[in-house]
Amino acid sequence: MIFDRRIAVLTIGLLAASTAEAEPYLAVRQGLKCITCHVNPTGGGLRNPYGHVFAQNELAARRIDTGDAQWLGQISRVFSIGGDLRARGTVTDLPDADEQDTAFDLDELRAYLDFSVIPDRLSVYVDQHFAPGGSRNLEAYGWLWLGEDRRYYVKAGQMYLPYGLRLEDDMAFIRQVPGINFGTPDNGVELGLEAGPWTAQLAVSNGTAGGPESDDGKQWSLRGEYVRAAWRLGASYNLNDADGGERHLGALFAGLRTGPIAWLAEADYIEDQGLPDDRRRQWVGLLEANWMPRRGHNLKGTVESLDPDTDVDEDERNRYSFVWEYTPIQYLQLRGGVRVYDGIPQNELQNRRFGFIELHAFF
Amino acid sequence: MFLTEVSFSIAARSVSTRGFLDWIRRTGICLAFSLIAGCAGNGEGLDENGRPIGEGDGDQPLVATFDSIQQNVFTPVCATGCHSGANAPLGLRLEEGVAFTMLVNVPSAEVPSIDRVEPGAPDASYLIQKLEGTAAVGERMPLDGPSLPQSTIDVIRQWITDGALPPAAATVAAPVATLALLAPWPQTQLSPDEAPPVVELLVAADRALDTTLLEAGTVTLEASGGDGGFDQGNERRIALQVTVTQFAPTAFRLVPAVPLAADGYRLTISGSAPLALADLGAIAIDGDRDGRPGGNYVVEFVSGGAP
Repeated sequence: MIFDRRIAVLTIGLLAASTAEAEPYLAVRQGLKCITCHVNPTGGGLRNPYGHVFAQNELAARRIDTGDAQWLGQISRVFSIGGDLRARGTVTDLPDADEQDTAFDLDELRAYLDFSVIPDRLSVYVDQHFAPGGSRNLEAYGWLWLGEDRRYYVKAGQMYLPYGLRLEDDMAFIRQVPGINFGTPDNGVELGLEAGPWTAQLAVSNGTAGGPESDDGKQWSLRGEYVRAAWRLGASYNLNDADGGERHLGALFAGLRTGPIAWLAEADYIEDQGLPDDRRRQWVGLLEANWMPRRGHNLKGTVESLDPDTDVDEDERNRYSFVWEYTPIQYLQLRGGVRVYDGIPQNELQNRRFGFIELHAFF
Repeated sequence: MFLTEVSFSIAARSVSTRGFLDWIRRTGICLAFSLIAGCAGNGEGLDENGRPIGEGDGDQPLVATFDSIQQNVFTPVCATGCHSGANAPLGLRLEEGVAFTMLVNVPSAEVPSIDRVEPGAPDASYLIQKLEGTAAVGERMPLDGPSLPQSTIDVIRQWITDGALPPAAATVAAPVATLALLAPWPQTQLSPDEAPPVVELLVAADRALDTTLLEAGTVTLEASGGDGGFDQGNERRIALQVTVTQFAPTAFRLVPAVPLAADGYRLTISGSAPLALADLGAIAIDGDRDGRPGGNYVVEFVSGGAP
């Protein structure tokens, strides 16, 4: 087998590459919608001026006074930029391995541009990945708010699809297994609603996860969320009508604030058709607790579960994560933690252990 | 080892991580987690890929065949989690049964000028570039796991060098295209005096074809030279004009550039190297109907001459 432990200790880029800033626990903790801090109503990517104010004054343990030169992401009234850089050191271990591997990697460098052609009405937005690897466009779309009250909008172009909780960690089971994450933008159109406590999106896209269109079928993504100050509840449904077999996704997700702890939960049902075994059903679940013992610190504990085939017994997998996030000053975050995979004993990859420390700079 | 030797303090006690996991199990925390997540499967009755023993080919050593690479690499490493289902990144599915059609002679989504697998040319194959981390775009694969050992990549290289041969027919879920000459009806028993004149040929496939490949290099029509045989050395090649049905790329017409004289004819459509007619998935036609891509489609007919 290829799981030769002599080689399997090579560096894992576990969370590598397909990550971007999106932390729904912050929204739950604050009782706010994603659009409060991000330009994109579904979260992630470029922060808006409020997001910058929050990053400087609430997220960081200490704010370094920059006087009048306060960065709000705006080059001008109509032109905003932002970015994320993640560099990390990793340690990987497989069961019964004779040695482990350590490495430093640049995991992510990406930039966001927003050009408000007509302020508060019409924008052109770009999310560009620069490293590692060559430059690659992830999002590029035009975006129009319909009406003066900014309740409805339409986006067209390449975009992340609306589905479930938009966690920063693309390798979380709820992001990886459904296949809707920062690594799989798609070309299409999205209609959105931002009305009071409601936020909802309907997207129609090629269903090729960024690849060229290969058939007549389309992917339909529907997401709705009801947001209150201390809790939120949402649901998603996704159908990818591909010639190679349909994929149906359904998700229920929720957030709850109890004192200093912000909870996130999501459960997903995935059904694939057209596989050699005809049809496969999967369940994925996540429960995450984020405890803020003091300003600038967040302790994150996550339990994830995956049943990769409901027709097969004893194949379930779990992943446990313990992460400390420390934001000493504005726009700089230090993260460290371990992720422990727990799967069937005959598969080493499903039982690997991974530790990391990370420097995350953003603006 | 890391997480077994490196200790850290949890709740004022120092334990190793592996020991910590055992402690979790012993103390019943796993039971508490199970209310939410359930403990991991014990793997009983499953192979290393988490599939029931006996479902697949079982454990096989990694050798330079597609089946072996599927069993040892694509299924356990690539298709587990990411490259599976209709939402597979960049449309690349690597599950058993579909992986071959997604790879061989298919342009990569990130760099369309480079095929994912170019038979005979591993260095020019995007799959190898992604596995070795030399691709111009994007990250090294696999994302969610250790990089493949070079010895494993070398086996994949060898499979490509050997021509990127397809899997056994039984594992190809997607059918390969076969052709049929609809008109004139293939037959060789009639004499040219008895046969009706042929002004065009109509060929149909049982799945959509890449009709851009229909050209002189893939389609040839020969006249027998009057003797009805095609091994006498007196055959004549007839130029053809190809017309593809606009809304159904499963059928095409072949119109001879000159009226066919009374004679026996042989139509050959290439399904083999160097230039083969293929379907939209870049899989060569099954010209010889052996259940596998490849082989020429050869059919003979008789024309009664120009009316």
